[in-house]
Amino acid sequence: MIDLFIALSPLLTVGFGGLLLMLAEALGKPANNTGMSPDGAVVVDAGAGRSEELGLLATVILFSGAASSMGVWLADPATLGVELVSPWLQVDRYSLFFSFILCISGGLCTLLGGGYLEEHKIDRGEFFTLVVFSTVGAIALGFAGDLLTVFVALETMSLGVYCMIGLRRSSPRAGEAALKYFLLGSFAAAIMMFGAALLYAATGHTDLAGIGAFVGGLGGEASGETAMVIVGMLLMLIGMAFKISAVPFHMWAPDAYEGAPTPTTSFMAAAVKTAAFAVLLRILLIAFGDPRLMSWGAGWPPVMACLSVLSMTIANVIAGRQSSVKRMLAYSSISHAGYLLMGVCAAMRLPEEASASVMFYLAGYCISTIGAFGALILCGSRGKEAVSYADLAGIGRRHPAAAAAFALFVISLAGMPPTAGFFGKLYVFRATIDAELYSLAIIGLLNSIVGAYYYMKVLVFMYMREPIPGAPIAIPMRSSMVVSALIIAAALVVAIGVLPGALLEMAAVAAAALS
Amino acid sequence: MVDSYLPMFLTFAISLIACTVMFTFGHFLGPKNPSPAKNMPFECGNDTEGAKFTRMNVKFYLTAILFVVFDIEVVFIYPWAVLFKGLGWVGFATMLMFIVSLLVALVYTWKKGGLEWES
Repeated sequence: MIDLFIALSPLLTVGFGGLLLMLAEALGKPANNTGMSPDGAVVVDAGAGRSEELGLLATVILFSGAASSMGVWLADPATLGVELVSPWLQVDRYSLFFSFILCISGGLCTLLGGGYLEEHKIDRGEFFTLVVFSTVGAIALGFAGDLLTVFVALETMSLGVYCMIGLRRSSPRAGEAALKYFLLGSFAAAIMMFGAALLYAATGHTDLAGIGAFVGGLGGEASGETAMVIVGMLLMLIGMAFKISAVPFHMWAPDAYEGAPTPTTSFMAAAVKTAAFAVLLRILLIAFGDPRLMSWGAGWPPVMACLSVLSMTIANVIAGRQSSVKRMLAYSSISHAGYLLMGVCAAMRLPEEASASVMFYLAGYCISTIGAFGALILCGSRGKEAVSYADLAGIGRRHPAAAAAFALFVISLAGMPPTAGFFGKLYVFRATIDAELYSLAIIGLLNSIVGAYYYMKVLVFMYMREPIPGAPIAIPMRSSMVVSALIIAAALVVAIGVLPGALLEMAAVAAAALS
Repeated sequence: MVDSYLPMFLTFAISLIACTVMFTFGHFLGPKNPSPAKNMPFECGNDTEGAKFTRMNVKFYLTAILFVVFDIEVVFIYPWAVLFKGLGWVGFATMLMFIVSLLVALVYTWKKGGLEWES
């Protein structure tokens, strides 16, 4: 029994940490003991004006979640009596790999939030609790091996994010973003639930392995069950495609990403997407891993390949035409979903190699994208975000450290050495080519060249342009928390970029646990 | 397949026919003598007042959502209480964890002023 608690410790640490954080927020004195906000207004809310201490507490909770994931990984989860909670929660090295990435991403986002919220006068303590509980949902999504836990975890993750988007209550943009994401997100969840219901009706199983076994036992002739399984599978995929914001299910993403406070945006781009990919790979390979559903001519690979090509191409074309950097990063995250889906397609022929490459890519992408949003936070201050390319003009001279960090993350997102993004792309392309999906690989390669254009535009504006005379100049903000988040992220990006072998080996071990 | 759904279809058909018949006969046979007093909106005998859309206080929403949370708690506790002996200490600990987390939520709501109607 104790073994089981140890095995579930990543989930329990973050979950109970979240409860403690709630108490810390509610029982503390508002606004640093004075009951006043910095601008003199009376604050009655107990969580307001304390973003530094609450942010730090949330970061500690999330990083200790990461540490306990690593501990369970080293202790080998298979020996910890995890079959008691199986198949509802599958504690294996695959899910621990993801819970590690998710905790690190969540921790970096709370660090960013600790600096951002105060600067932009939305200093609400709820943000940190919501991040922690959303991360609990995301971790549970990585663990989930049953359609019921998949749904519950997905909703736990999404509910927090809906609130975090609407944190800036006075802004109509934020309200629009939150409502849009909420409506489309619940719509997607409903579609997924419908798919799950059809799968249960056809197979009599809600656990993924049971569905997989039933599909494997189906006869070759067309029957009602076969049709229901295929329709159920497609509906599940639609729900998942919403969460990873693959074209054509991406309509909510740019607006939600742009309207949300930037730390929330980075959480959505990193953690939500990673958790969705974790469950997507597990569902596809475990429940629909039958050769008849997993070939180039039939089943999910052609669907995923279409989504991949559309996401890469359309997102890259639109991203190049944006004038807002935040919106460009939103489209860039859609295009990254496209590259990742390419790896998912390759998993039909080489499950282990392709899954490992997708996991490696996700780790690099998460840290780089959080870092890019964090650098964007650092470039604007006093309630004014640096959102357009013009705001970035001359940052390289005015604030060289922020510009250098931004440049590093953008280079990593573009996939150039010596960064984590380069090896992520390299491994995903190698897996695609090894799986003999040459046309897909060529389209992906062309797209990453197109993508480099708008990433380079950031560098050009930062280092080679000067602000237009008379234009308002955003003064970079000062925040030790944002800076430390950027330092951690930069160190990780460079470390993975210089020594990719260790992480790839871990990803390979994790991927082996999946099948 | 058809046999098992036949009663449902019959119920559906009969209710459809009954409604159609009642409305049709009422429409053609009923006497119609409209007057201004009869055309006024009817609201349980009271005169109508106020605008069509009113903003509700957000406190109603908060109370409603708190009710749902603690209502769901009861939904989980009942089956647990019925099977209490069979579940043993593990079941007790699990339920304790659940109730403690809800207790934390209650303390949170209380301290954040969610239970105060007047302020």
